[in-house]
Amino acid sequence: MFLRILQKDLKRKRTMNMILLLFIILASMFLASSVDNLAAVSGAIDHFLDMAKVPDSIAIALLDGEQDGIADFLKEQKWALESEVTDGFNLINENVAVTNCQADPERTGYERTNTLFIQKIPQNFMKVFTEENEMLVLAPGEIAFPKVEADKNDLQVGDSVCVRIGDVEQEFRIAAIVKDAVFGSPMMGFKRLFIGEEDFARYENQDGIVRTRIYSIVYADQEKFKQEWKEQNFSVISGIEGKGVIRLCYIMDMLIAGVLIVVSICLILLAFLVLRFTIVFTLQEDYKEIGIMKAIGMRDMGIKGLYLIKYFALAVTGALIGLVFSVPFGRAILKRAVVNIVVEQTQQHFIIHIVCAAAVVGIVLLFCYMSTNRLKKISALEAIRSGSAGERYHAKSPLKLWKQAGMRPFFYLAVNDILSSLRRFGVLLMTFCLGILLILLPLSAANTLKSDGVIWEFGLSPSDVYLDTGRGETYVTDMDLMFRDMEKIEQTLAEKGMKAVTGADMGYMIPCYAEDPEDSVTCYTLQAVGNWDRHYALLSGREPELANEVILTEITAGELGVGIGDTVHFLMKDRPEEFMVTGTYQSMMNMGQGFRVSRSAEMDPDYAGGIMCIQVEIEDMESEEACKKLAEIFPDYRIMDVRGFLDSMIGGIIGQIDRLVYFIVGIVLVINGLITVLLMKTIMSRERGEIALLKSMGFVDRSLQAWQTVRVLLMLAASMLLGTFLSFLLAPCVIGPIFAMMGATSIELVMGSVEVYVFYPLLLFFVTGVTAFICSGGVKRVDMKEVNEGE
Amino acid sequence: MMESLMVKDLCKTYIVNKRQNNVLRNINMEIKQGEMAAVMGPSGSGKSTLLYTVSGMDDLTAGRVNFFGKDIGSLTPAQMSSLRLDEMGFIFQQMYMLKNLTIYDNIILPAYQSGNGRGREKRKEINSRAKELMHKLGISEIAEHDINEVSGGQLQRACICRSLINRPKMIFADEPTGALNQQNSGEVMKELNRINREGTTILLVTHDMKVAAKCDRVLYIEDGSIKGEYIFWKYNGPEENREREKKLSVWLMEMGF
Repeated sequence: MFLRILQKDLKRKRTMNMILLLFIILASMFLASSVDNLAAVSGAIDHFLDMAKVPDSIAIALLDGEQDGIADFLKEQKWALESEVTDGFNLINENVAVTNCQADPERTGYERTNTLFIQKIPQNFMKVFTEENEMLVLAPGEIAFPKVEADKNDLQVGDSVCVRIGDVEQEFRIAAIVKDAVFGSPMMGFKRLFIGEEDFARYENQDGIVRTRIYSIVYADQEKFKQEWKEQNFSVISGIEGKGVIRLCYIMDMLIAGVLIVVSICLILLAFLVLRFTIVFTLQEDYKEIGIMKAIGMRDMGIKGLYLIKYFALAVTGALIGLVFSVPFGRAILKRAVVNIVVEQTQQHFIIHIVCAAAVVGIVLLFCYMSTNRLKKISALEAIRSGSAGERYHAKSPLKLWKQAGMRPFFYLAVNDILSSLRRFGVLLMTFCLGILLILLPLSAANTLKSDGVIWEFGLSPSDVYLDTGRGETYVTDMDLMFRDMEKIEQTLAEKGMKAVTGADMGYMIPCYAEDPEDSVTCYTLQAVGNWDRHYALLSGREPELANEVILTEITAGELGVGIGDTVHFLMKDRPEEFMVTGTYQSMMNMGQGFRVSRSAEMDPDYAGGIMCIQVEIEDMESEEACKKLAEIFPDYRIMDVRGFLDSMIGGIIGQIDRLVYFIVGIVLVINGLITVLLMKTIMSRERGEIALLKSMGFVDRSLQAWQTVRVLLMLAASMLLGTFLSFLLAPCVIGPIFAMMGATSIELVMGSVEVYVFYPLLLFFVTGVTAFICSGGVKRVDMKEVNEGE
Repeated sequence: MMESLMVKDLCKTYIVNKRQNNVLRNINMEIKQGEMAAVMGPSGSGKSTLLYTVSGMDDLTAGRVNFFGKDIGSLTPAQMSSLRLDEMGFIFQQMYMLKNLTIYDNIILPAYQSGNGRGREKRKEINSRAKELMHKLGISEIAEHDINEVSGGQLQRACICRSLINRPKMIFADEPTGALNQQNSGEVMKELNRINREGTTILLVTHDMKVAAKCDRVLYIEDGSIKGEYIFWKYNGPEENREREKKLSVWLMEMGF
């Protein structure tokens, strides 16, 4: 008999059962894919670094002769377990031509994201992988690009590029986009292109060519090795100490992974929220029948068993379908969110999906069991009298129609319904609110990075024009060339009637310590050069003025245990210099580590690492106009405004966050639409009597549709206000710490923008409104005679 | 007297499981303006279907229904809604009301929805009309109550108020006393008779002889066809009840009820 009742029930209440089934499918899909993604992302970076075999330490140096002190040192070094020397060539824009050599003889089409090397495929350390997570293999004539470089130049697999080093010019076909564990993160200041051994050998066989050497070191004894390394005081252009730094460089990927975790948790919450609502709702629908079953003598356990069997059948079906969809859904999210990391996909992941689907079945049965517990408390008569809704409406109408002089009835009905059934519509409010938070939190990160003011958070100063001569690295060995270039720029502009001053920030990599020379750290130290005397944002104290004054970031101050008035020592070759700390600042460069010395400080050029660009400030001219004019005057230089300059530094990250935000917006729109449709259908199925009554009174379908739609839109509007308010509260706690890890310890997040206040609200309103209106078309199918089925 | 409702060759057919079910067969009838007519008949005879079809709540399969000169079969859904809102009033057996609204708000809702219900002044007028109606029907004290806080009789009188709020030309009532006890039923009929005396045409469906006996005319329907009609003199008060019920009872017996 049970089965017969079940069969009849499934057939008769097809709509409600279908809605419940859909929610179970969604819950199962969200839960399985989200838990799997959480598991995949949480260990992804460590897994990636292990796969790539990242050494304990990496040093990068320029080699302009045959003598290589570092290589000799490593050969003799007993505290290094393993070491490897990899050769590469430093590429500037003029080295690379997009499409082919003939089409771009002047080499104007290529733009580097950062310092760029070309080298052979690494075999032992720092291995690289294709987008499909395979080891990179290249045939002669093929080249592989990291994603950020390819994106920057709009290059894809199959495109041609031409690379010239010295007198040798070769044309390559892009065979792969690679994931490079050490240098692949957008935050890392170096990028690598890869070619085959034969192709690389053609560049090598030239005299007098400057090479970039990468040294990979695995310690036998870290302490002793580092001690001896420091004593040598080698001149390197960069040093990466340990996986910790590399892991930090993936902070943006972790930001995105963090967002993914927030998305996953929200989706899980959403699934359970809606599932519980639907189960309680569908059970309430059955109260009359439950009463009749009680009246004819069925025992509570029997009735409960009947519903448990029904929900078990629905839950198993839904969970199985959800399980099937969860795999592609989860992969789609993961693929869009994590582009730079090789994420492990094993058989265990499918087991997670199965466990999650089984959990959904268990949870559905638990909800069902808990909801049917109410059966014990009510008599047969009560259940029958409670009617099909299983509820008594004791709530006082909170809003009086006669007091609303200007409110149209459909609007009044919508507002009054919400106020009368806050719990029911609360589900919609929470769903929408979660969606808004999902959009606004990552948006606040993107907006902060996009704001012009963020230049201060990099420890730099704003200027009208940022000019890249493409010789940033050349200036390291020939600083006079930089000063000549700056002078030439000022002179040329003066000839054109523009009064301009130029400046740049020269970076140095110098070991430094506070008290014990053995506890030295190598930090990026900036020094303002050029005629333009500019200022920087400080967190405390004052700018360095004298030759022996320095400011440092809060993170470095913490690491060295120094404060304003204390002394730090810069360990330059022949003369350890003492500097007094006069202030602190924050910087998102180099993971928040850094110093800035005064313009008068005497720095050893051997430790110079290069400049990012030449800054130009022009009197009485707006940045936009200045950029336009300078682009005409210096067609060979790359001219940027502050926005363009920031893009060149962190452009890849912004693009990645933007893409993620768009993807999340898409997911939120789909979820909002789906939840709107399902909840409206659920609620309308109970309101058929009321709809029929209003129709019989003479309400036209349009008014009834407006009533149904306005309820959803009011909840959306309320959730937007609540979501925006919550995002202001939560962003400093959720997004703030990520910026703090990047070095911006006291950043002010940019929350408000046109997107936050206008674009996304309008988009959500439009899409959800249209969905709600289409769904409200269901009122047309309500027959006026159904008034007799109402309460 | 002019016809308020004229029904000609009305047929209504339902198709259930591919089987044709002729619920109404060639119904012809007229309801005069100011008349109070009752439709009686056994269960399943088509009484309620007739009421819903002639009031435009249900489509007609064939025939014509003229409501104060308007052919309701030719009206668009919007025109039909407007007609129901401004010129018709409905009372159902169950006292259907919107559960989230107070009694008073339920009553004024159709008036606020009507095109005549826009603007502060018009709403003031509606409010005073609603109060007057509630006073007349003796339910002023329950105005701010929720619908579960009042008796069935009070609720049905509230439904009558709602049906009258837009000053309809005609009221359609489907077993208006069907869910009420004898006392409440008597009170509701008293109000309907009073409304009718004030000029509102009423067509009601009932299986209660006492209710039908208070009408001017009784139509007897069986198997979807009108088998006969009994015409009374105008109802003058409770003192006539016994005599009218007796006469009606004899006639209904003749009709096989």
